[in-house]
Amino acid sequence: MLRRVAIALPTVLLLAVASTQMILARRADLSPWKGGGFGMFASVDGLPFRWVRLYVSAPERSEEIQLPLSIEDQAHRVVTWPHQRAMRGLARSVIAREQRYQRPVDTVRVEIWRAEISRSLDVSETLFRQMTVAANEIDRPRDR
Amino acid sequence: MRSTARAIGDRLTDDATALRLTLLVLLLRPPTEGAVRGLTWLVAGLALAFPALTRSAVAWLALAALVFARLILDWPLSDNHIYLLAYWCLGIGLCLIVSSPFAAIASMSRWLVGGAFLCVVLWKGILAPDFLDARFFRMTLITDDRFADLSRAIGGLSEAQLQTNRNALVALPAGAEVIDGPVLVEPPALRTLGLALTWGGFMLETALAWAFLSRWPASVHRNRHLLLLTFAVVTYAAAPVAGFGWLLAAMGLAQCSEAQKVLRLAYAAAFVLILVYAETPLMHLVLAAIAQ
Repeated sequence: MLRRVAIALPTVLLLAVASTQMILARRADLSPWKGGGFGMFASVDGLPFRWVRLYVSAPERSEEIQLPLSIEDQAHRVVTWPHQRAMRGLARSVIAREQRYQRPVDTVRVEIWRAEISRSLDVSETLFRQMTVAANEIDRPRDR
Repeated sequence: MRSTARAIGDRLTDDATALRLTLLVLLLRPPTEGAVRGLTWLVAGLALAFPALTRSAVAWLALAALVFARLILDWPLSDNHIYLLAYWCLGIGLCLIVSSPFAAIASMSRWLVGGAFLCVVLWKGILAPDFLDARFFRMTLITDDRFADLSRAIGGLSEAQLQTNRNALVALPAGAEVIDGPVLVEPPALRTLGLALTWGGFMLETALAWAFLSRWPASVHRNRHLLLLTFAVVTYAAAPVAGFGWLLAAMGLAQCSEAQKVLRLAYAAAFVLILVYAETPLMHLVLAAIAQ
């Protein structure tokens, strides 16, 4: 019995994780390249073709900010799998950073974009996830 | 002299060679930082230095735990071969507990390789919308700098064309057009290369999944080592993921019987060749020479 487990368990785990990854990629925008589903080199929908845009709003302030180096790793995780909790976490990091530098911030909008590529290789950018988080932690109702 | 060479040959092709190659993978491509990196180096280094530890289930289960910890810490950014490495270390640890451990490792390895290629085929053949029509490789050959040598040498792109093409493939807002902007140039050789990489790779990976998972037809199953060696030697000359190639070489070697010494040596040689691809400018120089 233990012998069968030893031989089969790694492959069972591989298939279970890969099936979950495939479902998450189809239903929840996880990048095909990541998550243990072996979708690398299968689609352009990976990190170089996904990116994040950050917008900060406050009285007399409404601007897109550059992705700070200190949250670059977190941003890479978010664009790879842009689920609600991860996006909210990224927005909170931006709010915390703005407040640390004593810059005014009421809300932060996180936008996740990716490149759509036609068969004739026309490349267009598409917004596929966004979330606005208020500094007082209240999310806007138009989040999706 | 001859006896020394024989001793080295025997050591290179004994049962534990696949395990030693895996330990090398862990040492060559450790986690990027933190305690997990140090612990991985420590356990893998000790296991490589002491033969008793090389065959110790506890050492391999500890390594599996460290690789799983790495996956959790890096989630979701780890490459797929790190997942395979985790399953492989776990499998080795479990198989070393049972009787005839190396026969168990060989079976476990066969299923694992077949399972991984099955997932690859599912992604490329069914799930990805942009693979079989060659869009992925047409884009990659232009935009991914790691494939630039190949695009110039085989695809016939000049450096100026490569830069212009990259500018032409910058994402625009939906519906927008650049007037008098850069125009994409795809020489016939580049289109052919994109198609060859797409369909050649897909057919080889499909054959690999089939050969490792099914004993029918016997001729395909018997030639699975030839397929895997071909895949490793060809793919990792271009694909910048040496860790995956090393792992496949170690897993292939683990499936060779004691009598298949030549095959074991071939896998060990493939491991070294992938090391050369990854760590020396050999392929860059070869492709640059072809481009001229």
